[in-house]
Order: sequence, then C-alpha cells, then structure tokens
Amino acid sequence: MSHPELLEPFPDSEEMEISFGPQHPATHGVLRVQLRLDGERIVDAQPVIGYLHRGTEKIFERETYNGAIPHTDRLDYTAAATANQGLVGAVEKMMGVTVPPRAAYIRMMLAELQRIASHIIWLGTHALDIGAQSPFFYTFEEREKILDLFEEYCGARLTLNSMRVGGLPFDLPEGWTERCRTFIDQLPARIAEWERLLTKNRIWRLRTVGIGVISIADAVEWGLTGPPLRGSGLRWDIRKVFPYDRYDEIDFEIPTGEHGDTYDRYLVRMEEMRQSVRIIRQCLDALPDGPVMAKVPKVIRPPLGEAYFSVEGPKGELGYYVVADGSTNPYRLHVRPSCFINLQALPELVRGHLVADLIAVIGTLDIVLGEIDR
Amino acid sequence: MSLGSYLASLLPIDLAQGLGVTGRFFFMRKATIQYPDVKPVPKPRFRGMFGFNEERCIVCHNCAKACPIAIIHIRDHFEEIEVDGKKKKKKVLDRFDIDVKRCMFCGLCEEACPTEPVAIWLTTMSYEMAAYERNERLYYDKERLQNWDGVQPYPGVVSPEAGQLPNDPTGGKAAKPEERR
Amino acid sequence: MANPWIAYLVVPFVKIVVILLVLILVAAYLSFFERKILAYMQIRVGPNRVWPRGWLQPIADALKLFVKEIVIPARAERLVYLLGPVIMIIPALVVFSVIPFAPEGTFFGLLKQPIAPYLTDVNIGILFLLGVSSVGVYGVILGGWASNNKFSLMGGLRSAAQLVSYEVPMGFSVVAVLLMANSLSLVKIVEAQKNAGVWYFLPGFVAAFIYFACGVAETNRNPFDLPEAESELVAGFHTEYSGMNFAFYFLAEYANMVVISAVTTVLFFGGWLRPFPNVAALAFLDVIPPFVWFALKVGFFLYCYIWFRGTFPRYRFDQLMALGWKVFLPVSLVNLLVIGLGVLLIGGPR
Repeated sequence: MSHPELLEPFPDSEEMEISFGPQHPATHGVLRVQLRLDGERIVDAQPVIGYLHRGTEKIFERETYNGAIPHTDRLDYTAAATANQGLVGAVEKMMGVTVPPRAAYIRMMLAELQRIASHIIWLGTHALDIGAQSPFFYTFEEREKILDLFEEYCGARLTLNSMRVGGLPFDLPEGWTERCRTFIDQLPARIAEWERLLTKNRIWRLRTVGIGVISIADAVEWGLTGPPLRGSGLRWDIRKVFPYDRYDEIDFEIPTGEHGDTYDRYLVRMEEMRQSVRIIRQCLDALPDGPVMAKVPKVIRPPLGEAYFSVEGPKGELGYYVVADGSTNPYRLHVRPSCFINLQALPELVRGHLVADLIAVIGTLDIVLGEIDR
Repeated sequence: MSLGSYLASLLPIDLAQGLGVTGRFFFMRKATIQYPDVKPVPKPRFRGMFGFNEERCIVCHNCAKACPIAIIHIRDHFEEIEVDGKKKKKKVLDRFDIDVKRCMFCGLCEEACPTEPVAIWLTTMSYEMAAYERNERLYYDKERLQNWDGVQPYPGVVSPEAGQLPNDPTGGKAAKPEERR
Repeated sequence: MANPWIAYLVVPFVKIVVILLVLILVAAYLSFFERKILAYMQIRVGPNRVWPRGWLQPIADALKLFVKEIVIPARAERLVYLLGPVIMIIPALVVFSVIPFAPEGTFFGLLKQPIAPYLTDVNIGILFLLGVSSVGVYGVILGGWASNNKFSLMGGLRSAAQLVSYEVPMGFSVVAVLLMANSLSLVKIVEAQKNAGVWYFLPGFVAAFIYFACGVAETNRNPFDLPEAESELVAGFHTEYSGMNFAFYFLAEYANMVVISAVTTVLFFGGWLRPFPNVAALAFLDVIPPFVWFALKVGFFLYCYIWFRGTFPRYRFDQLMALGWKVFLPVSLVNLLVIGLGVLLIGGPR
C-alpha cells in the first residue's frame, strides 16, 4: 500500500503528514486517511482503502446467482436488504422476470425498514463522533426493534439473505404486519426525541453548519449519490427517477437540503427516515395477497447478456452490473459501491477545515468499509 | 450577529431541551438483558445451529451444491441390498461433515433439501456453540450433528436425535410464543 | 482548647485524615456513579456484576490500576513524567483545606466543645483556592510534554490553553460574589448568605451559571473535553500513562470535579444553609443536618456534570476558545457591573 499522491507542499512550509487510522475509533471501519496538516488546518486528505478487501467480486464468479445473495449481505453490512434487492433485481432484469405484486410490496417494506436501520446507525455513530454519547443508545434501541422484525421474517438480524431471484424465499409470518405497524406508529415520536437532542442544539449546529460544503455542480462531477447529493439540493433518487419494485405506486417525497453542508445532510437523512415510515405505512395498507415467488426455474440459468440495475440504498445509488454467459454462474458481477464513490470526494470536502471537522465529514458521508473495499 | 440574536443566544433553551430528554430517559425502563442469567429469545425462524436427521436424508447432495462456501462434505457409497427378492442399490451415507466455523448461516442448504420434512435445518434457536478448540470442536461430523455434543441448546430445544421436526425446534414441547418472556 | 498539643496537632491531623479519606472515596465512587448515571440515561444498566450489584467496582478498578505496570516511554523525561500526575492531584486535594462543610457544632452533642468541621478558615480563602487550583495546570502541561509524543504535547498544550482561558470569567464571577459578601473567607461568605436570607444564586444566577460552566471547562469535561476526547486524533495528554500514574490523573480529574461542585455550592448555593435560611415557615427543614445539605448540593452539581456529559456534543477547540473569550468574559464583566450597581443601590453588602 504505497502512499497516495498528496499535493506538493510549499518549500519551507511546516506541514505535517499524518496517517489517520486505520485503527481509529472514528473512522467507521478500517479506513486510513493520509493527512497533510498545516498546524491544525487540513491541506490535503487522501483516503487509503483496501484493509477490508475480501475479493467479493471474484467470489461472485464462482457462485450461483442465488448463492451470491449472502455475499451481498456482507458488502454494506448495515444495509443488507437493499444490497440483496440490487442483485436480485439485476438478475431479474436480465431474465425478464417480473416479481408478483405481494413480493414487490414486501421487498419495498424490507428495504425501507433497512433504510431506517441504516440511518439509525449513521445518526448514532455520527453523534458519537461529535461527542454526544446518548443518541447512540436511543437510536439503537429502535434498531433492535427493526432487527427483531427482520429476525421474525427471515431468521437473521444483520446478514439477511432475504430475497431470491424471482421473489422472496418465504412469506411473512403471522402477526408480522401488526408488529410492523406498531413499530412505525411509535417511530416518529422517537425521531422527534432525537431531533430535540440535536437539531437546534447550538453545539451541534456549531459543529455541523458550514462544514464539508459541496455545491451541486461539484457533487454531480464527483459522482456523489444519496444524501450527499440531495443535501446539496439536487432532487435525485433512483426510486423516483428509475422506479423499481412498484415504487411508482407509492406516494412519498424526496427531501433535499440547501447549502450542501453537514447540517443539511443530517436534516435530509432525518426526513428520509420519516418518509420511509410513510412508505411502509402505505405498503402495509395496500399489501396484496398472492404468491411471493414468480415462476422461475429451480436452477437459474440466465441467457447470454448483461444488465445494470441500481437501487437507492441508504448510502446512495447501489448498482449491480451482471454479465451472464449462459451458465449457472455469472461471468462478471461488478458492484457500483455508493460509499466508495462518495468517499472519493473527501479531499474536496475537508480542504481548509480543522482535524476535528474531518471526523464530522467522514460521519456525514456515512461510509461503510465493507462496501468500499468489497 | 445582531445584538438581539446575541442576547438570545445567551439563553440556553436548546441545551435545556436536550437535558430534558436525557433526564427523562434516566427514569425509564432499561433495555439490558442480563446474559447469561437471562438469555435473549430468538424468534422461531432464527437461523442457528444445524439440525440433521440421517434417516430422512436421501443423500442427494443438494445441500452441498447449494452451499455458497462449500462447507458441507458428503461421502457415500452404494450397497446392494435385497428388497422383495430383487437386488437393489442403496445409497449409504458415510460422512456428512459440516465445517461450522466457516458457516455463514445463510440457510440455503435448508432451502435446497427436497425431503418433507427436511433433513437439514437451521431453525433450532440455538446459538451457543462456542468452543475452546477451533478445528476439533467446530467441525461437526454425522454423530455430533445429531447428538449435539458441544452445543448448548436453547432452553426447551431437544437434540435432533429425539426426532424433532424443523420449524418446531422444541419437538412440540415448548410453550407458545405468547407464553414466553 | 486547653492542651495546645491536642488543639494544634492532633485535631488538625485527624481532620486531614478524615477529609482525605472521604475525598478519595468520593472521587473513586464518583467514577462509579458516573458510569451508572450515564448508563441509566442511555437505557442501559451500568456496572452491576462486582458484588453487590456493582458497588465494589471502583475498588476493583483501583486494584487493577494498582497492579498494572507503569510503562514509561523510551525517551520520555522520567522524573517529569512521573511527577505530572502528582502535580495535578496535589492542588485538588489541598484546596479542600479551606472549604467549609458545616458550621461549628458539637456533632450531635458527642463532643464537649464545638469544633469546626473544616480544616481551617483562612481569611483569604477564595484567593487561596483560586491560586492553588491553578497550579494544577502545570500537571497537564508537564505530563503531556514529558511523554515524548507529539500528540500528547498537542493535547496538553490545548488543554492548558483552555484551562487558563476559562479561569478569567471564573474569576469575575467570584468577584461578583465577593461584592455581595464583602469577605474573601469562605466561611464568612456562607454566613453572609445566611444574613442576607437568600442564597447568592438568586441575585447572581448569571454569575453562578458562568462559574459552573467555566468549572466544567476547567475540569476538561464534556462539552469542553476536546483535549481528551476518544474520537479525536489521540487521547490527549494522558495517552502514554498507565497503571497508578494514570490512576492519579483519573482521580485528579474527579477530585477537581468535586472541588468545583463544592465551591459552587459554597459561593452560590449557601454552603450548608437550607433554602431561605431566615424564613421561619421553613424551619421544619432544619431537621436535616447542615452537612447533609452540603452533601446534597454537591451531589446535585456532580449529577449536573454527568448529565452534561450524557447530553451535549463537544465543542471544537477554536469554538471553545471563542466561547470563553467572546461570550463568557463579556457576560461576566457586565454581570459584575450590574451586581456592583445593585449592591450600591441596596446600600452596601449584606
């Protein structure tokens, strides 16, 4: 792992070069940031990754399509359901399979529950890095309830393996819809509680307003997606722009920010949690009956071809590019990792800020090293 | 900053609101489960330790083929037996080993098993399989998979030798979900 | 007392031993209560395994730190490295010689003659207190510098800058109290509050708030704990410390917390007085002995310390310094003017 190219320092400058991480409580995984500091100001910051590389895309080449799904759980391990959704959506697109309506609605519910769970991790760890210790525990209490719902449905809490090509492996258990409804009915009050702790808090605002600003043009140029892009003001969400899985039948809004700073991204994610509650409520109300698996052969052998399919994960656009060669294993399965592409904008976001702001910016980008390193 | 907003910023109302939230939580019910005195309750579909029933297994190798990381090792051979006077070939299971230390508990083997009820299942609600020796104790062969040596079963769950059915890991003996916890 | 040996040697010695013991126990158990109270605010139960239900946890921690090896970094300045924590804890303990816990009394009639439950009543009490507690800053700087670790040095310098800056508004708040009490001695300040019939918190609530907030900054606690935050570049000036050495820093921080709480109580909340000490209607509250009132008030402030830690994010360093110099200082100056005017209008201090 060689040192990345940092900006050349001015001669006779007193700049210090420090490696921030990879073992650090605030980098959300094994991320190393190569910093060049002038006193306390950051002149340049290059992220160095690869400490969690497991060769997932190579593993995909020897797995069957259904066997690859547990591996997608482990990409973004905080948002397994949307990762599953991306892979099965890509294979279904290639095979031309449409999932039954009940399966589509349940998939949407799982994805939105997963979005809330992922944003909960983001909020807890972001607040913890900035110094507020308690929101971490309050938010994780709610996440426990979501994980309980997942456990009732598919048997696992984190690495769900909850979708198959053509639909879902099994139907909802008895009482799941009631428990889900109870949960989302009390969630907005909890979100309001967390906001009371943070949103108007002057210390929070001092630490996040004006930090890590990026304009819409720059964000689009860097390829940012998800809350970092929406925080700058662009209303771009795959669920609205290229709808999948019956999102076009559901009524919800895309929150955007104005200034593109950390505070706006925080507000965007909080509002996204509320919109997810709205989506889940509509799905529960409109849940159709029927099978949960389309008529697909037992052994999935897509015809020769390729497809790219992306979902709106909690961190951004998570895409899967699959190339099939007619056999049961994909020839190539490439993941478009949302966090990796968002992380590339880190030098742009922190230049000129202090070291303490670096931590706020890493938190606001909401990176998960599993997805970055694959 | 104008004088008015400066003066208003001197009143820490937002801070007091935050203090109110944490102050209220001080008096609320705590969420800690005092493990190991009290164990967390898994849900019925929880994917835990393997259950394997040799009698039901038809040695079709579906589970081994479905496993994404190929940790199920099956060896069998054909034996000639006499059934109704005719010579028939029967598959006999020699080895059915699972390398549990590599398992990711995805459940694809359970889905692939064609028998009714399935011969391999994960819905045993038991998750305490920790061992001090990794390679010796976390590699389960046919016998250990059925007598569950080294596994601490969840209270009420019987070992597969007692002939339990999948998705009812207690063999019909446990309390209903409403009566638990 | 008749016998000067008893009066001037034995009695102070006994007092010193009692005060030190109680103080160290309080500081150690403060760490336990911090963990429990923080946990209760965070929907979890704190340490509850060490018999019974966790109450021996600080003893277990102390034992552990006692037997741990003191790892001295290779090129650290040995003597200064070992002295750093000592320089920090001694002022914290010495300050308690002037803080009054209760009025002169006979301990429920057990003693023949009344003794004062505080060690001494220096007539420049508050000045002594402010001066001695400032020496603790040396412990921070020298500890960070002697560790031979540039991050510890950075943390130590930042911490020292923060401590020194926040002493100025603190001093002005104290002067506001002095204007009202007309004496520097802590015992006389409490008695002045008794004469005035009201705790100085009521006329001087701005000063009380600023004093306590600066006190939180003085002890490097959340929301001003950037120099020792875990999610920053390093763990601050005590990165390289382990074992008993670290235990001293740890104890010194908690002892400082107790000092600030005690001084806030004495200056602004009436020390050992009950609420509205001259109002006869509340005389039924006198059944609670004075030192219990003192302990309750100090306990409340310690709870506030922990409450702040559980709630607020932390300030960035430049914002912290800006807050100290640009907000607290002008406000405390204006407050001083207002209180001075008020005292003048009432006709002199009471």
